[in-house]
Amino acid sequence: MDRWFLIAATLLAAIGAVWGMVAVHRGHRSRLTVFWMIAAFICQLGFLSVRGQLRAACPLVGMGEILAFLAWSLTLFYLLVGPAYRISLLGVFTAPVVVLFQGIALFPNILEQNPQRVLGGNPWHETHSAVSVLAYGALALAAVAGVMFLVLDRQLKEQHLKSGLFRNLPPIRELLTSLERLLWLGGGLLTVGIIAGFLMPHGNDAMGHLIAAVTVWLSYLFLIGIKQMRGLTGRRLSLSAVALFFLSLIVFAFV
Amino acid sequence: MEIVCLGLNHRTAPVEVRERFAVSISQQGKTAQEFSTLAGISEGVVISTCNRTEFYLAVEDPKKAFGAVEICLAEKVQSASDLSAHFYRFEKSAAAQHLCRVVSGLDSMMLGETEIFGQVKEAYRLAHESDATGGALNKLFQRAFNIGKKVRTETSIQEGSTSVGNVAVDLAEKIFGHLKNSEVMILGAGEMSRITAQSLVSRGAKSIFVANRSFDRAQELATEMGGSAVRFDDWQRVLERVDVVISSTGAPHAIVHREDVERARRARKYRPLFFIDIAVPRDIDPTVGEIEEVYLYDIDALEQLAEEARGKRQLQIEECERIIKSELAKSNLRGV
Repeated sequence: MDRWFLIAATLLAAIGAVWGMVAVHRGHRSRLTVFWMIAAFICQLGFLSVRGQLRAACPLVGMGEILAFLAWSLTLFYLLVGPAYRISLLGVFTAPVVVLFQGIALFPNILEQNPQRVLGGNPWHETHSAVSVLAYGALALAAVAGVMFLVLDRQLKEQHLKSGLFRNLPPIRELLTSLERLLWLGGGLLTVGIIAGFLMPHGNDAMGHLIAAVTVWLSYLFLIGIKQMRGLTGRRLSLSAVALFFLSLIVFAFV
Repeated sequence: MEIVCLGLNHRTAPVEVRERFAVSISQQGKTAQEFSTLAGISEGVVISTCNRTEFYLAVEDPKKAFGAVEICLAEKVQSASDLSAHFYRFEKSAAAQHLCRVVSGLDSMMLGETEIFGQVKEAYRLAHESDATGGALNKLFQRAFNIGKKVRTETSIQEGSTSVGNVAVDLAEKIFGHLKNSEVMILGAGEMSRITAQSLVSRGAKSIFVANRSFDRAQELATEMGGSAVRFDDWQRVLERVDVVISSTGAPHAIVHREDVERARRARKYRPLFFIDIAVPRDIDPTVGEIEEVYLYDIDALEQLAEEARGKRQLQIEECERIIKSELAKSNLRGV
């Protein structure tokens, strides 16, 4: 049942992505992408709910569940930020990332077939896992906004202004403002996750994860600090947001 | 009864003729009412804009009606010379088709412009309120407005910016979104700078700074635009705060160099900066455009974008005409 929920969520996000891309190719913006993503979000909730009941804890055990939770978090932030700030095409750029994360989770042997109950769970551990993955969702969306900026920046620089993509992308300043807000939000949540991580009991085998997580956290704080104090060009901020998000995925390799 | 149209426009009459036949907005209803009381004429609408003056009439006999109106107009403009050669005359379906073309912007100087739609609507409203219209013209104008809307929504006749000023404003909005938080600096108080800056102000630009070699001229333009004049030697200081720079000086060489912008970057915290160079020779060194957060567009780039939009609109004419013809064929209009 849980797998079917995830398959449905992936298909709905894929339809949203294709639908949106076809519309952009034809020169206009699809207003339906957000509805496909809402439907995908509901299916993601179904998946997490079933897995949560089976685990009797937050379903964040193993790569498959982490990727599914990350995709849910990314969708959640898209639904909160995109329509509220009227950032057009954010859904079209977000949906493929959701499909990618969930597609990997659906690969054979990635998602545990028979999830076991989590025994001896610790509240700090659950807080650490849940808040950290939520943070990565916000930071993933910041990376998506960064990619959108890079596309628009290139089009403006090279004066390629005829495409439907150019016409429908939101303004440069709005993209940078959203990117910055998402970095602050992601950075804040990651800080809570890191603090909870220090407070939870951990064994010696967690050293690699700890070093990776703290490195990523410090890198994001450094980026936010530089932007705040000294300023940063949109291109460097976007490239950094994208690069740091890819770097942050290393953290999951140590889970 | 037949519908006819008597008019002149920017293609048939020079401005010195058009201005003599122009009917001010306050007089349009009264004039329409006046014509509708002439012998053999039962209804009338007067459309008068800077590019055209047209009289739409419901008449018994077109030839007699054209004669009566022309005599009336000759008396009004008190002209000894024969100005009738500047007029075009359409009858029945040709008149209806012409009105639809006007409403759709196909007959405008700037193809597809939207202002004409509102102007015709206002002219019709004034005539209607003066009791100058009846069943025939009411039905014709309502139908023309519907067809005009259909043409504009189903084709790309009003897409894209067709003037350099509007292209620049569209680009500024693509970079900064709403311009209400954007500050603009004008280098050189020429006419093109003024027009472009005015377009930015009309879309909400927060403040304008004008720097010009002649400080008096800078003050003059700044006052006109509700901005501030800046001594020409101070423009680099102002560069630290503005978002858009419009340059149109008569200098024979570049006045904005890469080093000037590099110096301001830190203070600007690397915020995006949009340079519009409409001067020939160019005022802004092209290497300025290589700076990461700078978007530089010169007059050729802007003109090319405007030309592309105009070309795109031209390609739509055939489709617009087809819609007009097919929609009119479906309509059952009196006198057409």
